[in-house]
Amino acid sequence: MTLLSRWFGVRVPLTSSERLVLGIGAFALPLLFWSIVSYVPYVWHPMVRISDPGGVDYFQPDMLVDRDVFATETGNMRQQNLALPAGIPANPVYLPAPHEVLRAFYTAFTTKPQQRDAPWLHESLLHSIRIIFWGFLISSLIGVPLGILCGTYNVIGRLNEPFIEFFRYLPAPAFGALAVAILGIYDGPKIAIIVIGTLFQQVLIIANTTRKLDFALVEAAMTLGTKRLRLLTHVVVPGTLPDLYRDQRILLGWAWTYLIVAELIGTSSGITWFITQQARYQHFDNVYAAIMMIGFIGLGTDLVLARLGRAFFPWDRPGR
Amino acid sequence: MESSAEAGFDYRAQSADVRARFDRLKAREVILETRELGKIFRSAQGEVTALRGVDLQVRRREFLCVIGPSGCGKSTLIRMLAGLEPHTSGQVLLDGKPVSGPGRDRGMVFQGYTLFPWLTVKRNVMFGPMMTMGDTAAESLAGTWLDLVGMGKFADAYPHQLSGGMKQRVAIARALINQPRILLMDEPFGALDAQTRTRMQTHLLDIWRNVDITVVFITHDLDEAIFLADRILVLKAHPGEVQELLEVPVPRPRDLGQLTTPEFLATRRRLDTLIHQPGPPAADADEEAIRPQVIRFTNVADNVE
Repeated sequence: MTLLSRWFGVRVPLTSSERLVLGIGAFALPLLFWSIVSYVPYVWHPMVRISDPGGVDYFQPDMLVDRDVFATETGNMRQQNLALPAGIPANPVYLPAPHEVLRAFYTAFTTKPQQRDAPWLHESLLHSIRIIFWGFLISSLIGVPLGILCGTYNVIGRLNEPFIEFFRYLPAPAFGALAVAILGIYDGPKIAIIVIGTLFQQVLIIANTTRKLDFALVEAAMTLGTKRLRLLTHVVVPGTLPDLYRDQRILLGWAWTYLIVAELIGTSSGITWFITQQARYQHFDNVYAAIMMIGFIGLGTDLVLARLGRAFFPWDRPGR
Repeated sequence: MESSAEAGFDYRAQSADVRARFDRLKAREVILETRELGKIFRSAQGEVTALRGVDLQVRRREFLCVIGPSGCGKSTLIRMLAGLEPHTSGQVLLDGKPVSGPGRDRGMVFQGYTLFPWLTVKRNVMFGPMMTMGDTAAESLAGTWLDLVGMGKFADAYPHQLSGGMKQRVAIARALINQPRILLMDEPFGALDAQTRTRMQTHLLDIWRNVDITVVFITHDLDEAIFLADRILVLKAHPGEVQELLEVPVPRPRDLGQLTTPEFLATRRRLDTLIHQPGPPAADADEEAIRPQVIRFTNVADNVE
C-alpha cells in the first residue's frame, strides 16, 4: 500500500508520530500562510509605507498610502520635476506581522498599559474568565439537572422542551437592554447574557444525550428490582455521565462565544474593553494578541478537561 | 408425525427414567403461570395481534425453552413475563399472584449485553443486593456468585474488557444473586460464536443443576432448545399462539454426545416439521414477497462447479 493510498483510506488510523506531526502542522500551516503574506514582498502588500515624502506635500515618513495613490503621486512629481517620494510595500495597519503580535503578547504582560487606569491584559482576561465562570456555572446548575429530567421523564420533557425550543432562537444579545434595566450596568447583565445564550441550548443538548442511553440498561436495572428515583440516580445519571461531560466541554466553548457581546453590555469590560480600546488607538498587534489569548485559554481548558475526563471515566472508551 | 415414524423412533416415547423425571416435575408446585395471555399492538395502521391465548404452567426447577419462527412473539412473551411489556389480555401469575411491572423476583438475561459499563464486574453483580443490603454483605455475596460462574478473577475488570461469553456469565450471576423465583433468558447466547455458545450451554446446565432455579429460555436454535430443555413451547406466527408443548425425551444429565441419539434426532425432526410447516398464505408476507432471481454470473468457460 503506498503512502498516498493509506493516507486517503477512509478512517485509516494514524500512527502516533503522524498524529503529532499533523497536529503541529495544523498550527504551522496558518502561521506559514500569515508569514508569507507578511514577509514576502509583493505578496498582497497593497499599501506603501513612505520612507521619503519627496515633493508630495501631504506625505509623511511612516505614513501608509494605497499603492495606486503612491503611483499617481510619483507620476505627478515626475511631471512637475519635483523630488520623487520613496517607500516600501506594506500591509494595511489591520494586518500586523507575526513578530509584531508576538512582541505585543510579551509587552502586554510586561509593560504598564499606556493609558492611565487602564487594566493590564491579564487583569482584563481574569475579569472575562470570572464572567464566563459564573455564567456557565449558573447555566449548568439549572440546565444540566433540567436536561437530565427532560430526557428521563417524557412528562417533564414535553412540558419544557417546546418552549425552550422557541426561546433558544431568541438572540441572547437582544436581552441586553432588559438585563441592564434589571441587573444594573456592571457584571450582572453580562453574566445574564451568557446564561441566556447557553442555558436553552444546554437543556436540549443534555436532554437528547440523556435519551441516547441504551434503554435496555434501564430495563435490566428494573428486572434487578430498581425502582423510580433509583433508576435515575443509579442508571440514567451514571450511564450518561461521560457523554454529559463531553457536552459540557462543547457548551463551555459556546459560552465563550457569547462573551464579547456580553461584555459590551452596560459598562464595557474585560477582554472586550481591552480589544476595543486597542483597536481605537490602532494597536492591532495588541488586538490580535488579545483575540489569540482567548483561543489559547479555550483550547488549554478543553485539553485539561479532556484529560480529566479520561481520569474520571476509565470505562468510557472513545471507540464505543 | 409420519417423519418420526419413518425414523423408527417416536419423539413421544420416553424411557422409564425420563417418564419418572417428568412425573416428579409435574408433581412440583407451579412457579409461573399464564392464563389466556395475549398482546395486541395498536398502531396507526391498525391492530396487530402479537400473541393470543397463551396458557402455560412452569413448575419449580423446570427448564422451559420457547421456540418459534421469526415474528411469533417469543420475545414479546418473555418481556410480558418479565413485566417489561404490558399484556393486553389474560394474566401472568407468579406463585399465584398477578404480575404487574418488572421486579426482582423475575431475573432476566438479555441477548444484548446489558452490563452497566460504568461498573466493574463485581459492582455489576452487586447491583441488585445493593438496593436492599449493605455494601460489605453485598460484596461477599457477589464474590460467591462470581466464583460460581467462573468470573472471580475478573471481579475488578470493566465490561468492555470482557468477551461476549464472559459478559453473559456476569449477566447470569447478576440476575441469580437476587435469588429470583424464575430466570428469564431472551436468546442470551444468540450473539455468541458457535464454540462459545456450546460451552455456555453446558455451563448453564451446570449452574441450573446446582442452584434452585426455574428457567424460561427463548431461542431460535432448535438444537439448543433440545439440549437445554425439559419441555419446549413451540409458538407459531401470525397470530402468535401456542402450537405445541413438547416434552424432551432426551435423558439427563445431558452432554454433547447426545446430539446424535435417536431421542434427540426424533425431537429435532418433530421441531423441524412444526417450525417449517407451510403457514397460511398471509404468513410472513414481507419475507415471502422477496424472490431472489438466481442467474449465472460466471464466465462461460468457467468450469468450477
